Amino acid sequence: MQVAGGKWQVASGKSRITHHASRFTFHVLRLTFLLLILTACHSNHPTWERIEQEGVLRVGLDPTYPPFEAADEDGAFGLDVDLAQAIAADLGLETEFVYFGYDGLYDALATEQVDVLISAMVIVPGQMRDFAYSDPYFNAGEILIVPADEAAIEGMADLDGRILAVELGALGHVEANAWGQRLPNLTIQTHNSAAEAVTAVANQQADAALVDAISGRLALKDTPTIKRITDPVTVEPFAFVTRKDDERLLENLNASLKHLSETGQLDAITSRWLN
Amino acid sequence: MNDELAASHSAFSFQLAAFSLQPSAFKTGFRLLILTLILPLLQPAPILIMPGPPQTVYSEHPITAVHTRLTDEVEEWKIQRTLQLVREMGATRIVEFFPWAYYQSKDGSIAWEHPDQVVAHANAQGLEVIARIGLTPYWARPKDTPLTYLDSSAYDDFAAFTAVFAQRYRGKVTHIIIGNEPNLNYEWGYRAAAPQDYVDLLKTVYPAVKQANPDVVVLAGALAPTLEPAGSPWGLNDLAYLTAMYKAGAADYFDGLAVHAYGLTFPPQTAPAPDLLNFRRVELLRQIMLDNDDEETHIFITETGWNDHPRWTMAVRPGQRIQYTLDALRYAEANWPYVETVALWVFRYPAPTKSYMDYYTLVTPEFVTKPIYDEIKQYTGN
Repeated sequence: MQVAGGKWQVASGKSRITHHASRFTFHVLRLTFLLLILTACHSNHPTWERIEQEGVLRVGLDPTYPPFEAADEDGAFGLDVDLAQAIAADLGLETEFVYFGYDGLYDALATEQVDVLISAMVIVPGQMRDFAYSDPYFNAGEILIVPADEAAIEGMADLDGRILAVELGALGHVEANAWGQRLPNLTIQTHNSAAEAVTAVANQQADAALVDAISGRLALKDTPTIKRITDPVTVEPFAFVTRKDDERLLENLNASLKHLSETGQLDAITSRWLN
Repeated sequence: MNDELAASHSAFSFQLAAFSLQPSAFKTGFRLLILTLILPLLQPAPILIMPGPPQTVYSEHPITAVHTRLTDEVEEWKIQRTLQLVREMGATRIVEFFPWAYYQSKDGSIAWEHPDQVVAHANAQGLEVIARIGLTPYWARPKDTPLTYLDSSAYDDFAAFTAVFAQRYRGKVTHIIIGNEPNLNYEWGYRAAAPQDYVDLLKTVYPAVKQANPDVVVLAGALAPTLEPAGSPWGLNDLAYLTAMYKAGAADYFDGLAVHAYGLTFPPQTAPAPDLLNFRRVELLRQIMLDNDDEETHIFITETGWNDHPRWTMAVRPGQRIQYTLDALRYAEANWPYVETVALWVFRYPAPTKSYMDYYTLVTPEFVTKPIYDEIKQYTGN
């Protein structure tokens, strides 16, 4: 048998095979070693390296969810937009906002059209096979709104014998019904919207309103006669989303988010859009 | 110690030495062995869930039904609790998915335990079961194809399974739906499938099922409401698809037509139009049936409803969702004598999806009833 230039001449004797085999082993080892070095040199963080090289963080968002994100002829604006810009500045980067429909955000990230989603994204356990979430930056769960001078209500447990306003059918209504089984004298008053439920408190038609944090905190901006109870009733955190393999990017985003939180910038941005 | 005992002790010690064990170690090991055998017996016995005495659904509007999602519910008490709540809401029927791929092995054996539980508990609650059969086992489709892939080489296997299913649950499952949304390529594993493909499937499955169980009502799979034009990689307009089904000779191979009638952002009274997806699109499908002299065949709405997700573009406010749902039930009962049932999508998921799909449910994964559940319950007179 003779193959390719005569180097594998099996018929010519055992010693010749052994000689060529040892040379072959040597070459394989050398090649393996080189591959190992190349692999070690090759970056595991191509997204972050590209961001650093270009100096631009590409942010995907759905600009139809004020006050978190909206857009007009001047571009995107809102809480998430300000936060993305603050994060980017902290990392020495510029931002580029790319708009998608809400249903297309994950696909846009998966197909590398953007580096990160900052768009009031809730944490979805089912997505964690392909995506990773940052530390939470906002809790959009249900909160209690009470009159500004109310001192006796610190949580849901204090509402027995009181009137609680909710939006008909909303998650606050579901939660109120669940509490109603524990508080026999709780009266649940339904309204057509969260804003109307909060207004009922301001107008002294209800003792408290249980609404989502976004609606509740928006209402507080214009109504000084009401306040929110700081402890949320339910938890629905918003977080940034990256591709799962982009670990360095996520580390940097989390570090920057922590920095903004510690320096009060996160609170300042949130308060700019929500009370 | 006498000599005999000493000899015996010596032999025993030798045996122990052979296993490098001291007598004390042997005792410890023996005790551990006994403990290991006894401990499992000390575990509490699994809770025995019995279907219980037969119940009856009370409903002043028996057209009301609901699509349950028990396929992925593994705990029997949750299956039972779900169906109790369905009965208490006043729904007379459930639509449930029974995936062929989950049950039948390559050797032909069928794991009946889960479907047996679902059917037994539904019947115990007095609920009729409309069973949708779908999803192809790995052995009945080419390698690396998705679960939804089905081609003509597996039609006979699909028919055989569905016939066995119909026979097993004779008198317990009253209706069987063949497949789901066949006008979408996704439902064929992204195989471009023409209406003729689906009619060929009906022609294979229908006679097999009727032979196995002449009592069961066979429903043609509900078409997805869509405006996709011919040649689209996603699917085909439902009106065009149904017309083509009749042209391909489907009429003799189904007893009823399953329909998906989502309202999206429109109130249920909104007039239908060929270029509009809304609740009353049912009327356009009905007209196609009449145009094909198929007046006797009835419609079963196996999925309908509105969504109240705060961000989804196809959603409405929670209060609107309640109002539209009740109005839809009233409208169907008053205006559509050919519609036998209106099943709302969806009763409950076993776990949160954290997506807009959660906002179609009537009950949370923790079995907290939503206000829409309470309103429907009141509507049915419960």
